[in-house]
Amino acid sequence: MSYFSVLYILVFLPLVIIIYNILPKKVKPLVLLFSSYLFFFLYSKWLLIFIFLSSLSIYIAGIYIKKIEKEKNEKIKDLDINNKKIIKDKYKKKKKIILIIAIIFNVLFLFYFKYLGFFKNILNNILNLFNLNLKFKIIKHLAPIGISFYTLQAISYLADVYNGKIEAEENLLKLMLYLSFFPTLVEGPITRYNEVKDKIYAGQKVTYHSFCFGYQRILYGLFKKMVIADRLNIFVKIIFNYYSFFRGPIVFLGAIFYTILLYMEFSGTMDIVIGTGEIFNIDIPENFRQPFFSKNISEFWSRWHITLGLWFKDYIFYPVSLSKFVKKISNNFKRIFNNRVSSLIMGGIALFAVWSLNGLWHGAGYQFLFFGYYHFLLIFIGNIFEPYIIKLLKKLRINRENFFYKLFRIIKTCLLIFIGELFFRANSLSSGLNMMKIILTNFSFKGFNKVILSLGLDIKDYIILSFALLFVFIISILKEKQINIRKSLSKKNIVIRWTCFYALILSIIVFGAYGAGYTPVEPIYADF
Amino acid sequence: MEKLINILEELNPSVDYNTCENLVDGRYLDSLTILSLISEIEDCFGIQIPTVEIIPENFNSAKKIWQLISRLQEEE
Repeated sequence: MSYFSVLYILVFLPLVIIIYNILPKKVKPLVLLFSSYLFFFLYSKWLLIFIFLSSLSIYIAGIYIKKIEKEKNEKIKDLDINNKKIIKDKYKKKKKIILIIAIIFNVLFLFYFKYLGFFKNILNNILNLFNLNLKFKIIKHLAPIGISFYTLQAISYLADVYNGKIEAEENLLKLMLYLSFFPTLVEGPITRYNEVKDKIYAGQKVTYHSFCFGYQRILYGLFKKMVIADRLNIFVKIIFNYYSFFRGPIVFLGAIFYTILLYMEFSGTMDIVIGTGEIFNIDIPENFRQPFFSKNISEFWSRWHITLGLWFKDYIFYPVSLSKFVKKISNNFKRIFNNRVSSLIMGGIALFAVWSLNGLWHGAGYQFLFFGYYHFLLIFIGNIFEPYIIKLLKKLRINRENFFYKLFRIIKTCLLIFIGELFFRANSLSSGLNMMKIILTNFSFKGFNKVILSLGLDIKDYIILSFALLFVFIISILKEKQINIRKSLSKKNIVIRWTCFYALILSIIVFGAYGAGYTPVEPIYADF
Repeated sequence: MEKLINILEELNPSVDYNTCENLVDGRYLDSLTILSLISEIEDCFGIQIPTVEIIPENFNSAKKIWQLISRLQEEE
């Protein structure tokens, strides 16, 4: 049951809302939990047991860490500073063991379902290289839905309990709801326990206002997905499957269209997720902040899939860069060079770890690793050259805040992103490299106009796409200028409000790319 | 506090650290500059900054960073 399906929007969600509103406040969180497990079951059937085991494991680990912390506090009460430190270190080690065991337990599930096949292939290739007549075989299993998302949430919860950022939850049902909450289950955002726990368990009633507000956002998500993403899908599919038949400009247009499709599908899903949260008065964090207005790659990743970036920053980047091992290396560089070089090394090592994991998180394949290292290199090189670029701009008397310079940076960033997404979507790493080769060596516009009209899109489709993209672009500009369109709209009178509402519904019905001749985009991030 | 302001000015001289209250949120300090800052603070004040303390609230102004240093010095 996709978030974009009629079954979700017109059956599942309304039914949950009705039951949730009928039952007393105390039972409301249980309704959400039951709905979430039902939602999971409809997708993954009895793989449900795995999300339960994850919840149970982090629940037990959290309680155990809390118990150790309590014991420690009792013991250090009347001790002097030196003895306090000894006891603190001893108990910290105990907590760390629990943390590591629980994380390994959860990551093992993820590894089994997602990466075993990939690493088996690598191992077989290595054995082949040495002419060893051995081959490992495994049976491929379907992964539980959202395993990549809820595993990261489980780790963040435990790490936060370990670090004393949050108190361990004593109610197992509450933790089960946090990990399985149906709007965020399939494609995130990756929420943190302390930012959602109060609202998720508050059991606030669905009001007329929250219902309308939530469904407004859901409609905007549907518009992005059905009018834009689904329309571009055929074109993108043909280009990526049969790229060798096309010239450079068409292949590059395929990469641009795929990037737009991905953004519309993923951010559209986030609109539905956040809108569903709004209906239940639960604030779900934003996952996108106008990413195509970024002036460099680093900024792009702070605006695209924000919660994943923050997760990597908090649980990989800083812990790795400030680990004893990395500090030792960077101190050696500090002695020889300076603080900046040592920070570059520190950050570089951590960045490498982040992007290796980020690439792998997106999928078990060489093209995903390439995607990760591509961004690592762009950010790392950007960090190295930034001070020199600033100096050069000063010499050339170019103001960094100048509109045209900003525009130049935005276009440059977009071009780099299109290339990255080309590898991300390519059927394999070699396909991605071949596509790049075509773009760079076969750059002829001969027959361009004819070809673009023969790939599932006609003039009418291009006109609809142009207007739809313009609409999303204007909304993005307003958002970038911190103008809250929905708040302003809610202050208008009922006629204007409902006219906008109906206009959006009608535009989806009339201009949506569904029915014969169109193939809807599968939920892309659900596969991660 | 003066020592801290000197460190910050060396890292990014274009900010008024006596008044700025959005060093992280306003992207005056990016993650790499924060790493440099932490390394300098640890050397200068003889403390260890745990990763759990690296949150915008602790680094958004010179005053907040100073409060963090003082707190960690007391805890050590």
